[in-house]
Amino acid sequence: MSSAARDSVAVSAASNAILSVEQVSYAYASNSAQAPLFTLEAMSLQARAGEIVAILGPNACGKSTLLNLIAGVLAPLSGRVLLDGFVTHTMPPRARAQRIAMVQQESQLLFPSRAWEFVMQGRHPYGRSLRFENEEDVVVARNALAQVGAEHLTDRRMDKISGGEKQRVILARALAQQPAMLLLDEPTLHLDIAAQVDLLDALRRLASVSRYIVVVVTHELNLAAEYADQVALLQRGRCLRVGPPSSVYQRELLEQVFQTPLTVETGPSGRPHVNVWSGKSTERS
Amino acid sequence: MQPLTLRRLLLRCAALAAVLFVVVVLALKLGAVQVSLYGLARELIRFALHQTSELPSNYSLIIFDIRLPRIFLGVFVGASLAVAGTSFQALLRNPLADPYVLGVSSGAAVGAILAYMIEPHLGLAPDVAVLLTPLGAFMGALVTIAGVYLLGQRDGEIDSTTLLLGGIITASFLNALIMLLLNLISERDHGGMSFWLMGDLSTPLQSNLQWIIRVGFFLAAGAIYTTASDLNLLLAGEKEAIHLGVDVRRVRIVVYVAASILTGLAVSVSGAIGYVGLLVPHVMRMIFGSDHRILLPTAAFGGAIAVVLADMLARTVVAPGELPVGAMTALAGAPLFIYLLRRRMG
Amino acid sequence: MLDGKYIWRMSKAGATLAAVLLCAGWLSAQTPNATNVPGAPSAAGAPVSEKAPAGKAAQENAPQQSARAVREVVDETGRTVRLAQPVERIVSLAPSLTETIYALGLQEHLVGDTDYCDYPAEAQKKTKVGGTINPSLEQVVALRPDVVLMTSINRFETVRALDDLNIPVYTTDPHNVQEILSSTIKLADVLGAAQNGVTLAGEMQQRLSELQQRVGELPAKRVLFVVWTEPLITIGKNTFIADALRKAGAVSIVDTTQDWPKVSLEEIVRLQPEFLVFTVQNDEKAPDLLALSALPGWRGLDAVRNHRFIVVSDAVNRPAPRIVSAIEDMARQLHPEAFTDSPSVAPPVNKDPLNKEKVEKPNAAPEKTPPAQSTSLVANDAAFCMRIEHLACNR
Repeated sequence: MSSAARDSVAVSAASNAILSVEQVSYAYASNSAQAPLFTLEAMSLQARAGEIVAILGPNACGKSTLLNLIAGVLAPLSGRVLLDGFVTHTMPPRARAQRIAMVQQESQLLFPSRAWEFVMQGRHPYGRSLRFENEEDVVVARNALAQVGAEHLTDRRMDKISGGEKQRVILARALAQQPAMLLLDEPTLHLDIAAQVDLLDALRRLASVSRYIVVVVTHELNLAAEYADQVALLQRGRCLRVGPPSSVYQRELLEQVFQTPLTVETGPSGRPHVNVWSGKSTERS
Repeated sequence: MQPLTLRRLLLRCAALAAVLFVVVVLALKLGAVQVSLYGLARELIRFALHQTSELPSNYSLIIFDIRLPRIFLGVFVGASLAVAGTSFQALLRNPLADPYVLGVSSGAAVGAILAYMIEPHLGLAPDVAVLLTPLGAFMGALVTIAGVYLLGQRDGEIDSTTLLLGGIITASFLNALIMLLLNLISERDHGGMSFWLMGDLSTPLQSNLQWIIRVGFFLAAGAIYTTASDLNLLLAGEKEAIHLGVDVRRVRIVVYVAASILTGLAVSVSGAIGYVGLLVPHVMRMIFGSDHRILLPTAAFGGAIAVVLADMLARTVVAPGELPVGAMTALAGAPLFIYLLRRRMG
Repeated sequence: MLDGKYIWRMSKAGATLAAVLLCAGWLSAQTPNATNVPGAPSAAGAPVSEKAPAGKAAQENAPQQSARAVREVVDETGRTVRLAQPVERIVSLAPSLTETIYALGLQEHLVGDTDYCDYPAEAQKKTKVGGTINPSLEQVVALRPDVVLMTSINRFETVRALDDLNIPVYTTDPHNVQEILSSTIKLADVLGAAQNGVTLAGEMQQRLSELQQRVGELPAKRVLFVVWTEPLITIGKNTFIADALRKAGAVSIVDTTQDWPKVSLEEIVRLQPEFLVFTVQNDEKAPDLLALSALPGWRGLDAVRNHRFIVVSDAVNRPAPRIVSAIEDMARQLHPEAFTDSPSVAPPVNKDPLNKEKVEKPNAAPEKTPPAQSTSLVANDAAFCMRIEHLACNR
């Protein structure tokens, strides 16, 4: 691979992108004549390159809806989502995929491919549909795998690797899109605690080194507190608070949202830490 | 890491073309009437040199006017079914999807029979009337796939099991409808229609229909091929494909319409030939991987090879009698299918 | 990399070959008749004998390549057929046509027939071209016929396919007994045996007239003609079989325009036929009719309880000259009282005259026919249609 190609990869387009969510709302209805089954009330947030935003909340609070609105695959009922001044949901699909990459909850593979083939899919937005991948695509894919520490998985089959390894490969595919913004929908759901920490460390590194905007939907209060620069707390379609973890992690607020007694203290890293009583645990493993 | 290159693609296609060539030569040689390899070679060379005699010899009549058109029909029908099957499998994210299983073939047959029934009442010119059956078959296929797609949805997502069940129900409903329609048409057509329904390549086509088959195949298969890498991503799921920049709506429409054209054309000229659309993509996937840029063309070749072979057997096993080619593909296909299924599970 | 290049080259060669063949095939398919155009300039200008292939059939045909008179006839479906005269090589695609050819004494010219052509027995020895619905076109072509005979049981597609191959097809389409006669006369004329046709039809007409005198005035017996028992399939009023029944002094209780209607047993119980008519193939065991009287539904029929069964040769299923014998046989069994005076009416050997109403154990085919060997696959024309339908149903 040429060094020029490597440089072009290293310099990400993400260096100073800005995400701004402006008074975005949404409503699901089974049909348009009925009252909406679910609404997301208007909310706003801003994020700069290099920041990790965590969207928190109990099940069915609208986290994934918000993520899809940010991704531009849902059109908001009111308001708009801007990435670098472009409205995300009106972008052509390819242009959008060049700027926004989504890591979904674990995807089921119908016909398992090899890891590098999977990562190569991330290059799709950069070619016409019949284009064959060129040298540059190979370099980008290799680098993406390297960035998540998964070079050794290159030629492995996707159905023969562990959940944590798979999640890395999926993340590598998102990086191969060379986006300005990475969106992750509960990426730690099926991972053990070590793999969770691994993944979030990788995200932290990516955000600060490669200057991505990272938005993560998660249940993990403490991991979010540890890694996020901003937290948006949602409950039943309402955004209760947006801000740094220390301002959002208030005992009364969290107890009200999660309906469980808990305490909030300051952890060893100086960030808030949540303890749950009554034998229940918010941590899953 | 060795991404697909045009060269690798062409290399594989060339290898399959060579296999197809051998199969075609074999199919030209074998039949109810013995043709020696020498005789076959002489006729081919004569033909290549344009040395056509005033009075055609038996050999040239049998080789060029009977076997070759039939082999060509088999090539296009097989390729159409395999490409349609491949794209249905990707689009519906279901490895068991094929025009036959989903009832699309039956839908096309219903459309073709309906067109056949109304054709005499329209007073069309013969040249136009010939086109009515393929058109009917196409419409039938399109309506059926739309119906099956709606049946297969659950909470706005395609559900594999629901889809398959929907397809099976649709197919059996449509087959009952075919029986009803067959009882309404004249007795004389009845036997022929039934034979056609079992999959039959023995009837030579009018030349304008031959043109439509070829042009239709290249247009429809070409349209599907433009979505080849979109289909790769669709295999991972519609949501993922959207995030990777696939215009899912456009791809879906293009592929449904084009695959319906392919199925409709194939069914209108050859009846329902099962298993080709189901098995050929799987076999090709095992050999060449699941990248649709290589899977679609190799499946086309594979389908052509499979149908020409099956038809060759259908012509020769009980010669001079003929079996329906659909029976041959089912005889060979069902055990192969079970083998693949068990392999997958094991 | 060397290997790769080698494979690449080989494949290129293969692809080129394939492409050449594909193009060749394409072109030939575009001009399906190009090789057939008479008088087309011959590129090599080689003499005829060199152009003919070494094939046996072609050598047999070498004399035919001299100019022959051409006669234009219109067949019974209204198609104009151009036939080289005299007609020397005939392929028959239906058992009834094969029988007619034998009856006309033209068997020498019959070069091919179908798997189902079982009467007379010699017909089984002719070259077979496959079934009636799916004959092998190439086998037909290889026989170099002057004419291919077809009828209503064949497919239009086969007619068209042979048309495209410039092989003359003559189609008959008789719908009643009278048309079988006229069709026979016309066919004989087309095949160059007009006198034989007139004689044969005259004889048939003669026998039918005598029969008419005997049973024409008698009240028609109400019968159920059984084509198939499970499911029960009978005949419609527009078939020649229904007409044959009328000629035999009977009428089918099922009155429908459908040709091969499937009827419900309860409808038959309601209609209560006087007789059940079964057909039996030459070599076939007679159906076990007594078993019917044990079956629910069937045993509710008076005809079954009283053993009023009639078994006739399957000749009645074929629109061929032999149908007259079958009609006579039916008439004898249905109206024995009309035949008490003289048994001379029925020329074919019938050793067991009269008294058919009391048939306890139905005898085999009343008409003496030569022993037949094969043909176990499909019973007869009508039954064949049914069989095909079954196959389709079972898919």
